[in-house]
Amino acid sequence: MPFKFRGGIHPDYAKTAKDSPVRAIAPPEYVVQPMIQHIGIPNQPQVKVGDIVKMGQVIGYEDAPISAPIHASVSGKVIAVERRRHMLGDMVMSVVIENDFQDTPCEDMQPLTPEQLKDPDAIIARIREAGVVGMGGAMFPTAFKIAGARGKVDTVIINGAECEPYLCGDHRTMLEYPEELLKGIELVKIAHGLDKINYGIEVNKQDAIDLLRSLNPEKYGIEIVPEEVKYPQGAEKMQVKANTNREVKPGGLPSGVGANVVSTYTAYSIYRACYLGKPLIERVVTVGGDCIKEAQNLLVRFGTPLYHIFAEAGGFCKEPERICMGGPLMGICVADDGAGLVKGAAGLLVFSSDENQEIEDPVCIRCGNCVMHCPMNLEPVYMYMYIKKGDLQKMDEYHVMDCFECGSCSYGCPAKLPLTHTFKYGKAMLNAKRAEEKAKALALKQKLQAKEA
Amino acid sequence: MMGNREKRTYVVTSNPIVRQKRGTRDIMLDVIIALIPTMAFGVYNFGVPALTVILVAMVSSAFFEWAYRKLLHKSNTLGDCSALVTGAILAMALPPSSPWWMVVIGSFFAIVFVKQLYGGLGKNFLNPALAGRAFLTASYAGHMTNWVIPRTLTAGFAADATTMATPLAYLYSGEAMPEYYSRIDMMLGHLPGSIGEVCTIAILLGGAYLLIRKVITWHIPVSFIGTVAVLCLIFGHEGYGRIDWMGYNIFAGGLIFGAFFMANDYSCSPVVPEGQIIYGIGCGIITVLIRYFGSYPEGVTYAILVMNLCTWAIDKLTKRYQFGVSKEDIKAMKQAKKEAKKAAKEEGGAA
Repeated sequence: MPFKFRGGIHPDYAKTAKDSPVRAIAPPEYVVQPMIQHIGIPNQPQVKVGDIVKMGQVIGYEDAPISAPIHASVSGKVIAVERRRHMLGDMVMSVVIENDFQDTPCEDMQPLTPEQLKDPDAIIARIREAGVVGMGGAMFPTAFKIAGARGKVDTVIINGAECEPYLCGDHRTMLEYPEELLKGIELVKIAHGLDKINYGIEVNKQDAIDLLRSLNPEKYGIEIVPEEVKYPQGAEKMQVKANTNREVKPGGLPSGVGANVVSTYTAYSIYRACYLGKPLIERVVTVGGDCIKEAQNLLVRFGTPLYHIFAEAGGFCKEPERICMGGPLMGICVADDGAGLVKGAAGLLVFSSDENQEIEDPVCIRCGNCVMHCPMNLEPVYMYMYIKKGDLQKMDEYHVMDCFECGSCSYGCPAKLPLTHTFKYGKAMLNAKRAEEKAKALALKQKLQAKEA
Repeated sequence: MMGNREKRTYVVTSNPIVRQKRGTRDIMLDVIIALIPTMAFGVYNFGVPALTVILVAMVSSAFFEWAYRKLLHKSNTLGDCSALVTGAILAMALPPSSPWWMVVIGSFFAIVFVKQLYGGLGKNFLNPALAGRAFLTASYAGHMTNWVIPRTLTAGFAADATTMATPLAYLYSGEAMPEYYSRIDMMLGHLPGSIGEVCTIAILLGGAYLLIRKVITWHIPVSFIGTVAVLCLIFGHEGYGRIDWMGYNIFAGGLIFGAFFMANDYSCSPVVPEGQIIYGIGCGIITVLIRYFGSYPEGVTYAILVMNLCTWAIDKLTKRYQFGVSKEDIKAMKQAKKEAKKAAKEEGGAA
């Protein structure tokens, strides 16, 4: 049995799209592909206005290791290389391609040979080349993550928890591409140089667990671990706890306790990159929320403007108020529906004002629900109080920096306090203060050195 | 393409984008629902005077809440229903014969002095209803200890009497319990006493509802009642069997009502489960101390009020270590602290 973590919530899962097969939508007239679709150094555009590009051609590249190249998701003509609104809010250098609807393939990338499929270095190089990032939402370059963990970890966990409400993309991938998925997971295992890998799946996806088990996962060295249904089971630290009973140290990474976590769709993308030679140009997105009549799973190319996706999903049945990228608990609001889809968007949820529970002047009633729900064992009620006061020292004492903003406290707060929001603000304040102190110390050191010299 | 697209503006909020629907008002309404069996039994047991006390307490509490916020140009907080809860709980803790003006004074003290002057909901450091009751006990001791004979108790005393002593008074004086207070009467509430503290079954019904609805957790009631039970069992009393003594102490007073409805007041009880257990144990110890050695027969009110004042200290004491800090880490941290202290001392000594 998997190990349990303290706290967490049982939200209304609303996984109404779980029976809707993945459907590829009509490609848009043009795509907006931002040069940052990962955590790390931005890519440099490799094309200029007027260039004709093929589908899968590299259009953004950067040499630095913490980055992932961007590939054209359609074939056609580059009509703009300029700053455009990113889903996450900033204006980001983007390549806009007018679609010629020919889907002329780019032949640069070929499937790996059977020998290469056994070679960790070749697999990691291909993951990097194909632009694969953490598809669960973190968008951390996968090649760098695996290369960094290789040889240092004894446990690798594929994250199939999909603990966020609404999202069903991973679930559908398990059901529709089980063989491919298992092969992809095997590649992750080989890339880490291990002979065993865990696949943690929440038990609300019993059909997927049964199907994968019937395909003899032991053959690939995969152990399927059915996990408790509880948000945030899919958080990296909770996955490590559930599978190994090890707790990642405060401020540390899973590799610090000998574990690494890779998400389901990332493993599937790795399969496509290695076995089929396809770069990462599309993904499954669950489109849902109360403004979408019927929640569904769509196969969407990156850079597709969001309004096109919503039109393909059948339009809105209510006046939309907020668009959420990712799941509704850790997701991020998108301000502009003209932004192009990025790699980390597992969901696109549109909510009307009916779902907006924010209130003016919320008053804490000290019910302690936040303390009960915090998976990190923190005391949000006091963190909130001290951040409101601006007491930096107390904030630190109550471990604000350990909050990973899962939103459990806010979700369960009957007084509707903006807890998660306040903690983001508090973390920023503390970070700024630490940076300032560091700079001061450095200046002092330099001064002393100058004196000595 | 882009030109004829309807331009929409979207709102941006922090995550989580969705929240549970349940709000503060729902919790307060749950408490009132949980109080219904107790209130209904109180009215059945004591008749119209009890109903009057309940209504006067709830209406006057709501009025003072509204009037205070109105006079000080603050937002109207009647909607959260917390004033109604305060009024209802205050009524439950008063004798059914309380005159209406005394109930109004109690409500005034509870809402204005204890709750609103400290900032309103969630800011009070004492349970307003209990503080109101304590204030009335100090000011109108006669009215507060005037126990009318309940309708459900008819045998065993002078026919022309209108008031009688509660079981707690017998426990306090150490006299033998009269026969008309049978064990079954104690459970069913065929007793004189405050409106809401007599019928154990009705209170437990409400308490179970609160637990099921997750308004409260088991920590405070269990540790509170458990502590009283264990201490009474250990120390006993002359003239009573140990089990009898424990049973009377648990069922013959405000203990069960206090443990489920009063000690759990969010704003003046600890937020960490470990702290809630310490708080409950503290309530239990003080209750027993007052019952054994105090000058009042009943100790629950003051026990809870004293522990209310300890809440912040308990919360500080039980501050949790975050996820990922193992027992070894805590040990190492404590060791390091000790050594640092030692080093500082030695340095001081050397200087």
